Amino acid sequence: MRKNFHLIAKSAQDINTSRGVFHGDSIMMNGKQYIESLRKLKPRIYFMGKRIESVADDPMLAPHVNAAAMTYELAFDPRYEDIMTATSHLTGEKINRFTHIHQSTEDLVKKVRMLRLLGQKTGSCFQRCVGCDAINALYITSYEIDKKYGTDYHERVREYVKYVQKNDLMAAGAMTDVKGDRSKRPGQQLDKDLYLRVVEKREDGIVVRGAKAHITGAVNSHEIIAMPTRALEADEKDYAVAFAVPVDAEGITMIFGRQTNDTRRLDGDIDCGNAKYATVGGEALIIFDDVFVPWERVFMCGEYEFASQLVEVFATFHRQNYGGCKVGVADVLIGATANIAEMQGIAKASHVIDKITEMIHLAETCWCCSLACSYEGYRTPSGAYMPNPLLANVTKLNITRFPYEWSRIAQDITGGIVITLPSEKDYRNPATRALIEKYLKGVAEVPTEHRMRMIRLVENLSIGAELPESMHGAGSPQAQKIMIARRSNLEMKKELAKVIAGIKPDEHFRKIRGVSEEEFFARFR
Amino acid sequence: MRIGIKYCGGCNESYRRDRIEEVLKREFKDFQFSYSNCADLLICISGCKKGCSAEKASGNLIHFDEWVGEERIIKDVKAKLSELLRS
Repeated sequence: MRKNFHLIAKSAQDINTSRGVFHGDSIMMNGKQYIESLRKLKPRIYFMGKRIESVADDPMLAPHVNAAAMTYELAFDPRYEDIMTATSHLTGEKINRFTHIHQSTEDLVKKVRMLRLLGQKTGSCFQRCVGCDAINALYITSYEIDKKYGTDYHERVREYVKYVQKNDLMAAGAMTDVKGDRSKRPGQQLDKDLYLRVVEKREDGIVVRGAKAHITGAVNSHEIIAMPTRALEADEKDYAVAFAVPVDAEGITMIFGRQTNDTRRLDGDIDCGNAKYATVGGEALIIFDDVFVPWERVFMCGEYEFASQLVEVFATFHRQNYGGCKVGVADVLIGATANIAEMQGIAKASHVIDKITEMIHLAETCWCCSLACSYEGYRTPSGAYMPNPLLANVTKLNITRFPYEWSRIAQDITGGIVITLPSEKDYRNPATRALIEKYLKGVAEVPTEHRMRMIRLVENLSIGAELPESMHGAGSPQAQKIMIARRSNLEMKKELAKVIAGIKPDEHFRKIRGVSEEEFFARFR
Repeated sequence: MRIGIKYCGGCNESYRRDRIEEVLKREFKDFQFSYSNCADLLICISGCKKGCSAEKASGNLIHFDEWVGEERIIKDVKAKLSELLRS
């Protein structure tokens, strides 16, 4: 059952040997090496009724792999080195920032700058932030658990983080359980496996069973980090479990999810809109069928009262991200929309300029939120920094709304052709090519094919999976509303209003006017 | 002995910060309180974990960034005062 557990370590060592030629003693992988590292893993993945033989090479998964590879490649680009890399506080070595435990608010800010950059370079989700958020959330929470119970989870997390950093691994963060009947708690479900749980404890580890849904980047990660999905109670200890396993650990099966227009990937490169990097992350249902986890990879086991903290800390990190990555993607959509306007000869129309400015305003508002929650971040007792939870939730709540509006504007400017454009196959067909060239021409100086490519990019970014991902990724809107309500002090605001309305005394007024409010206003009555 | 109290801006306070001051003034009546940094003990009161009130503070200080309960406030301040009196 444990035979695959050290596969990654062995693979990473192999990679280390080969990459020394290019990168000296760097412990980081570049994009190509990352893709090569995936070829050494054998995860059990199904899609469209068949087993995926090679994650790195399957045409349906390749664009998602390429997007993740960008997180590796840019770490070697000297232009982005400061944003894409960090110095490990555990080893002192230069590492990819996606494996870093944030040591300052500056680190938090650099993280969202990195995400915006990657959104701009891929026009898609590059998937690697989830694992980064998972290790940071576990680092913070395990410290708190140990403080209360004298356990050694934090040391295990530190060792695991070193392993991830040393091998430059991509980890999928797996939080969302499949949940079954939502009106019932985990322990009340008819089928107890609808929330991931511990089914056996052994001397050398635990055995887990259950499933995690919508897991971004899972198929092309090296590791899976599982965490509880909700607050738990004393009789739900079996569900209070967090751990890490390799993606090809025995007992793990992944079923890759479909997306709108996904099989266009098999039809050429125009119709996809973003053939190189796909749309959003590529999500999978992960089934854990009696998967063994050795103790050194178990980071919570039964401490049910810390489940909600782990969820909240993870959610704070993940909600911080969305004003970074989604705004990077919005930059691409805004650019596409402006290109379309030029290609169709409407760029100078005042309403078009106004609408594109509105798109920019919406995107930059989200960016402000990500920066704000990062700058307002703080040091936790573990030493790691986390963003301001209230502002991180505001960031994400805006992302559940604003991308719908900037997408609506993009579609408005692009026109009805965004859903009626002929296919690439008809464009390539000699019988119809000349007709398409002639009748779908915009301004004279722009080739028809360029206009077609730009229209498809707008379609890719504004229809399809991008929008529901904005809605539900990192938690659905109501989850953010709950956190915002809990984190903001409504009583304080009520008190402020009472003072301004003259119901409660204003401590400053007498100093300003030299008389009380009553005396001051008596003059005018 | 002088006790200084320093507040953060309170932009998004997660609890009513002046409750801490109320507790201090009630429990430590014999001490001289001011809103000055020039004090033997500085009590920094922040409304959230960002902890702005303590950002540039140094010396003998106690920092509160959440409501920890009256008992804990009194205990922490007493412990610090005893430490200062001993030194």
